[in-house]
Amino acid sequence: MTRYFFKRLLSGIFTIWITTIAVTLLIHLVPGDPVQIMYAQSQSTTPEQLEQIRRNLGLDRPIYEQYIMYMGRILQGDFGTTIRGNQPVLDLLLVRLPNTLLLTTASLVVTIVVGVTAGFFAAYKRDTWIDSTLMTAAILGISVPSFWLGLMLMYIFSMQLGWLPVSGTSLRNLILPAITLGLANAASVSRLTRSSMIDVLTQDYMRTARAKGLKEGTVLSRHALRNGLVNVVNMLGLQFTYMMGGAIVVENVFAWNGIGRLAIQSIFQRDYPTIQGFILIFATVVVVVSMVLDLLYVWIDPRITYK
Amino acid sequence: MPPLLSVENLSTHFVTKAATVKAVNQVSFQVNPGETVGIVGESGSGKSITMLSVMGLVPSPPGQIVSGQVYFEGQDLLKLPLEQLRQIRGNQMAMIFQDPLSSLNPVLRIGKQLVEAIRRHTNLSSADAKAHAIHLLQRVHIPNAAQRINAYPHQFSGGMRQRVMIAMGLACNPKLLIADEPTTALDVTIQAQIVELIKELRADLGMAVVWITHDLSLLAGLADRILVMYAGQIVEQAPLLDLYANPRHPYTLGLLQSIPRLDAAQQTRLRPIAGLPPNLANYPQGCPFAPRCQYAIDRCTTEDPTLEAISPEHQVACWVKPERP
Repeated sequence: MTRYFFKRLLSGIFTIWITTIAVTLLIHLVPGDPVQIMYAQSQSTTPEQLEQIRRNLGLDRPIYEQYIMYMGRILQGDFGTTIRGNQPVLDLLLVRLPNTLLLTTASLVVTIVVGVTAGFFAAYKRDTWIDSTLMTAAILGISVPSFWLGLMLMYIFSMQLGWLPVSGTSLRNLILPAITLGLANAASVSRLTRSSMIDVLTQDYMRTARAKGLKEGTVLSRHALRNGLVNVVNMLGLQFTYMMGGAIVVENVFAWNGIGRLAIQSIFQRDYPTIQGFILIFATVVVVVSMVLDLLYVWIDPRITYK
Repeated sequence: MPPLLSVENLSTHFVTKAATVKAVNQVSFQVNPGETVGIVGESGSGKSITMLSVMGLVPSPPGQIVSGQVYFEGQDLLKLPLEQLRQIRGNQMAMIFQDPLSSLNPVLRIGKQLVEAIRRHTNLSSADAKAHAIHLLQRVHIPNAAQRINAYPHQFSGGMRQRVMIAMGLACNPKLLIADEPTTALDVTIQAQIVELIKELRADLGMAVVWITHDLSLLAGLADRILVMYAGQIVEQAPLLDLYANPRHPYTLGLLQSIPRLDAAQQTRLRPIAGLPPNLANYPQGCPFAPRCQYAIDRCTTEDPTLEAISPEHQVACWVKPERP
C-alpha cells in the first residue's frame, strides 16, 4: 500500500511536469507574436516597451532556456505577475482557488446524494414506473447544457421566486451553481449506479444476507450499497475532473469568484502568465483529487491490491 | 412426533411476459426433527427452488409461490408476515449455498458477516458475538480462528469459505439446515471433508438437514431418506437403502445406472439417460419423464401419475413402476 502510494505520487508529479512543458509551449503554439497579442489592447505601448517586456518575460531566448527559467521560478513559488495590474499570479490564484474547491465539493455532494440515491432506487424498483421516470430524468440531465440549466434555475429561483441571489460569492450564492454543476453529473452517476446496483442486487451474497434473516434495510445498506459504490467511486475521479471543467462555465454564469472565472477573464485579456498559472494549478488539483479517490477505492474494495 | 417441516402441494412458478416457467409443481414432503433428507435431481429439476420457496428466498419478481403450504413447527411460513419469517430465517432454519465465494460478501470481513447473523437473532453484545463467531469458526475446524476472523473472503480457499458459510448457518443452532449443493464447487477431497463436517455437526447439534445434490452417490452414508425430483415434481421418495436396492421410478433407475461402480465387471459401460428434460415453460401433458422413458406406455403420455405408496415409506409417481432388471 505504501509502495503504491509512492508510485501514484511519482506518476502524479510526472503528470504535473508534463503540464509545465505544455504550459511553456502554449505561448508559442498560439499564432502571432505573444507580446504583441498580450499588449494589443494597450494602444499606448511603444515598440521599445514591448522589447523590454519581451526581455523581462525571457521570450527573446531559446525555448529550452525559457523552460528552465520558468521551472526555476515555479519551484520558488513565483508564477510571474499579471499583465494588467502587475499582481503576483500565484496570490491571485490562491485567493480564488478555495472558492472553486468549495463549489466543486458542494457540487460533488449534490452529485453523490442525487445520483446515487436515484440510481439506487431505480435499480431496486427496476422496470417499474419509478425506474423509467428516474432514468428519463437522467437522460434529460445529461442532455441539458449546464449554462442553460444555470440560467433557468437563476430565472426561476432568483428572478421569479426571489428566493436566492442571482450572483455573487457567498454561501447563499453557492446553492444555485452547486445544483447546476451537480445535477449534470448526477445524471451520469445515477445511470452508472443503477447498472452497478442491478448487478449487485442479483448477487449470491445478497441471498445469503437475506437467508440470515437480516432486515431489508440492513441488507441494502450494508451488503448492496458498498458493493455497488465500488464502480461509482472509481468513476467519481473522472467526474471530479469534468466538474472542474464544468466549473469554468458555471462560475461565469453565476459570477462566482473562482479560478475558472479568472481563467476566462485572463483569456479575454490575453494574460498569459495567469493562464499558465491557472492550467498548472488546475492540473495539480485534478491529480491530487484523483489520487485521493484511488486510495478511497482501495479502502472500499479490499480485493484490490496494488503492487 | 410431528414433522419439523411439512411441505404440502407447493407450486412455484416464474412468470415473465414471454412465458410462465413451472419450476416446482405440487410438491409435498416432510422432514422430521434430526432427520437428513437428500433431494436429488438434475439442474432445473426444481430442487433448489423448492427449498428457496421454503426459506422465502425465491427472487420475486419473477418468482411466485402459486399454491401450497409450508409448515415449520406447525406454522405456515407462507402466511407469516415477512418480519416474522425473517426472525425464523438464519435462526431456526438456515441455508448454505453452492458457490461459497459468490455467496460471501467480498467487501466485508468474515467476522462481520458472522457477527451480524448472530446479533440479529440474539441479544449478545458485539464482544460476546465476536467470541461466539470465533467459537463457530473453531467448530468448523478453521485454524487460527481468532486471527482469521479479520480476513476477507478472497483470502480463504474454497473449502475454507464453505466452512465459513456453514459456521454462518450454524450461528443460532438451527433446527433445520438446508444445504444447497454445498460441495459442487469444491474438489473431491474437500467435498468429502465438508460432508464429514456436516455429519459431525449434525450429530452434535441434533439438527435436521436437507441436502440438495445432483449426485445420488454422495447421499450414501449421509441421508436417511431421499426425494428424487424431475421436472419440478417429486417422482420417488424412499429411505436411502430402499431406494438404492429397489428403485421403482425409471428415472431413479436411470440415475443409479449412470453411477460408476467399483464392483462392476470391467468394460461395463455406464448407461446415460437418453434425451433432455422437458421445457418447463411448456409443460408436457402426461408424465414429464415419458419422452425419455423406455418403459412408457400409452397412459404415460396422457395422464400425469401422482405419488403412490408401494410400502409405508416408499412412494413412486409412475404408472408402470418397473422392477430393477
